Amino acid sequence: MNNNATVVNNSRVSTASGAIAKPLQLVAAFFLGAVILYGAGFVETSAVHNAAHDMRHSQGFPCH
Amino acid sequence: MLFRRIVLYALLVGASAGLLLTVVQLWQVIPIIHSAERFEGEKVPAGVHGHVGHQHAEHEHSAGAWEPAAGAERTGFTVMSNVLMAVGFALVLLPVMLVSSKTGGESKVNWSKGLFWGAAGYAVFYLAPSLGLPPEVPGAVAAPLEARQLWWLFAVTCTAAGLAGVAFGKTPWRWAALGLLVLPHIVGAPRPLTAAFSGHPAAVTAELARLAEQFIGATAVANGVLWLTLGLASIWAVRRIGSVST
Repeated sequence: MNNNATVVNNSRVSTASGAIAKPLQLVAAFFLGAVILYGAGFVETSAVHNAAHDMRHSQGFPCH
Repeated sequence: MLFRRIVLYALLVGASAGLLLTVVQLWQVIPIIHSAERFEGEKVPAGVHGHVGHQHAEHEHSAGAWEPAAGAERTGFTVMSNVLMAVGFALVLLPVMLVSSKTGGESKVNWSKGLFWGAAGYAVFYLAPSLGLPPEVPGAVAAPLEARQLWWLFAVTCTAAGLAGVAFGKTPWRWAALGLLVLPHIVGAPRPLTAAFSGHPAAVTAELARLAEQFIGATAVANGVLWLTLGLASIWAVRRIGSVST
């Protein structure tokens, strides 16, 4: 966490925001990935489906 | 901030894996999709066969829905979709790798571990779901979409949990996690009510069946390249992101 040094000495707010628990940050990144995969692979809306069509077929996501 | 670093590296890992995947797809996957699509219009009227449930003729989608124009536009959207999907996989993979490297220390973060993670991703996200729901060419009849998506999720979750249990479990009981690997296949993937290419003239059915077989091999290679890249690039990223234990 070397890049946090620049903000920590400033205010209580920045200290607090830099101190979000690491497990929470890991879970948040994992969840963001899951949401992206849902959008790319699962959303049925026609326009989204048509745009991602060839990728879905190629990657074995259920399509149509 | 850890979250920001993970997202940054997931973008880099995902972009490289997605672009490489596109190259492989353009070479052997996409041509098969285009060949299969040529036959989609040549269906015998479906009513004759009395299909119930999902029909692939619906593939042509509700009339008027937007779709990318053939050629560069369609390829462009495929590139974007590939990169987006690969970024999503990287975002899921990196936190898990970071947590596991935390317990093992620096010595465990080496390139052979990248092969291991890539193989695990390939097994979880390609092999396991494909055993029940082989990647399909356009034009194939399949079970209702929601049922297949649910089974896909079920297979992915069970396989991931099973592999994790065997790899990271501490007691002899961890071998029980192997049961999770077979569970989705005992439950069984949803099946269509008719043969995959019913509704087409016989000659077209034979041609589509041949394409479907080629397609499975082509996607197996494309996904192998994707996960090999994701695994190795993610090791690079984990090394750059550094320790999460402080």
